[in-house]
Amino acid sequence: MGKGGARPWWRTALSCMRFLATSFVVNVQSALEYRTNFLIQVFGMALNNAAFAAFWAVLLSRTGSVGGYVFTDVMFIWAIVPAAFGLAHALAGNIRSIGQIVQRGELDVYLLQPRDVWLNLITSRTVVSAWGDFLYGFLVIALLPGLSPGRFALFCAMTLTGAAILVAAFSAAESLVFFMGDSSSASGAFTEFLLSFSLYPETVFDRGMRWVFYTIVPSGFVAFVPLAAYKALEWRALALLVPASLAYTAASYALFRLGLRRYESGNQVGTRS
Amino acid sequence: MAVISARGLGKTFRTKVKAEGFAASVRGLVRPVWRSIEAVRGIDLEVEEGEVLAFLGPNEAGKSTTIKMLTGILRPSLGSATVLGLDPSRDRVALARSIAAVFGQRSQLWFHLPPSDSFRLLGAVYEIDGRELVRRQGELVERFGIGDYMDVPVRKLSLGERVRCEFAASLLHAPRIIFLDEPTIGMDVVAKREIRGLLEEVNKRDRVTIFLTSHDIGDIEKVCKRAIIIHHGSIIVDESMKSLKHRAMSRKIVGVKYAAPARPDIPGLEPIKRTQDAVRYEVDTGRHRIEEVLRFLVAAGEVLDITVEDEPLENIIAGIFEGEDRGASLAAAGRAAAGTRTEAAPPPARDEGREA
Repeated sequence: MGKGGARPWWRTALSCMRFLATSFVVNVQSALEYRTNFLIQVFGMALNNAAFAAFWAVLLSRTGSVGGYVFTDVMFIWAIVPAAFGLAHALAGNIRSIGQIVQRGELDVYLLQPRDVWLNLITSRTVVSAWGDFLYGFLVIALLPGLSPGRFALFCAMTLTGAAILVAAFSAAESLVFFMGDSSSASGAFTEFLLSFSLYPETVFDRGMRWVFYTIVPSGFVAFVPLAAYKALEWRALALLVPASLAYTAASYALFRLGLRRYESGNQVGTRS
Repeated sequence: MAVISARGLGKTFRTKVKAEGFAASVRGLVRPVWRSIEAVRGIDLEVEEGEVLAFLGPNEAGKSTTIKMLTGILRPSLGSATVLGLDPSRDRVALARSIAAVFGQRSQLWFHLPPSDSFRLLGAVYEIDGRELVRRQGELVERFGIGDYMDVPVRKLSLGERVRCEFAASLLHAPRIIFLDEPTIGMDVVAKREIRGLLEEVNKRDRVTIFLTSHDIGDIEKVCKRAIIIHHGSIIVDESMKSLKHRAMSRKIVGVKYAAPARPDIPGLEPIKRTQDAVRYEVDTGRHRIEEVLRFLVAAGEVLDITVEDEPLENIIAGIFEGEDRGASLAAAGRAAAGTRTEAAPPPARDEGREA
């Protein structure tokens, strides 16, 4: 009986990595149970994104540029945002289901396990269509002119920071459920804002509202800073993006933990899927 | 040695209330009205290591809320609890390594995957290394007879098969306490019997403490040694099953089947069921001697069959619940008659989202 002695941090980290890796494999296995559905969702999403690329190609062939953004700039945004969005939802597929899970009282399963509730919850599912987004992002960047090994590595690093920021942002919006009771509308609107702002050139928005992109709706760190860094092959951008992603993650985690104290559970019948 | 201990443990939920109608909805938007609901009202309890405890109560009594406070899912509003020497809300992660919970209405198995995959993930969750995981899984598969289902997706298993796998999965990390909330809900009689047998075996063989909540009296009669009854958030009975069953001794159900139509008449006793050639009485042995009742019945006609049974445990427990409700109503009526200004006790937990 008792709490037992403290163990070295690296053992805890190793155990956490093993848990996350196993969870990811099990999630993928679960997604692959329905092969046809998996393929339709993956390729369907890639095709859906391609339709937007075609729209931009037609528009920019007539106008030349929009807000100073040429076709390759827009395509970069359409590469990094889907790649980051896809990675976020492939690894942490429950980020936009937190509200629903909390409302149904389904957090009990996670609270009964000896793992961090937030990490356990968000990583216990993969969104199949997100794999399509992720693949699409990498396909687009591979087709962009001027791609070099250095630029590709930078793209990968910025996809990681972008994914971390998206996980934090979506999770924070969903965690409002603890305080509002039902956060689905607020969270849905936030998702729309974040994606819409991220997928259009920054310069089309009024200067007065651009501060929003670097605070509440972090499109700046997901799309605009990466675009500038990619064009200039500027690795120093990571000195801004890495701390920003850590700060957003820490803030989002703190909000979830704060909300968790208000969790009231429930008794709705259901199974984990 | 007590493995579960609670002192004045209570939980109050704050919930929004709204009168009927559109106008009330608009008013609620501007000035919402909140009400506090005491789901659990400062209970004390102790459970010894290796005990098999039935934690009973009608709907909304506070059973699930209590279990959730003891497992670290909910934070108590007042009082304190220790489980295996740990504070469930503060030491949730450490406690989760030594306890398990099986909720009949919830699953910890992946719906689309075979149980073997869920076992693998649970191994990672509970930090059981590869070789040890294989050994424990093999042992549980054999004990629970689930070898045939381990590679079948959970969605294709029957309820009984799923709960057996669920139960085996919950034992993978060798917990010292298992909390079960309606583990046999929706099961047929055969599956229920199997689960009860497994519970008994786990308790006897591994000396695992079992904390069982169930509306199925069969679960309680077959498995438990002690019963705690909670009603309106307070503990009203805490005694051994033996003693609870002893209450049944004072009430007998007497049934007679006659060879021809007969109409026995026992002074001061009304039958609970009567047909042309059969009759059943509920006899309070404190008021009527059973020997006398039998004499009247035998004298009424040629007897084909006669049975004398204890009152079912279900009736006893229902009687306790009803007695509490009647007591509360009478007390309130008494206060009203006496003209006191004491407000009626706050309503019990009525939030349907919280209690099964």
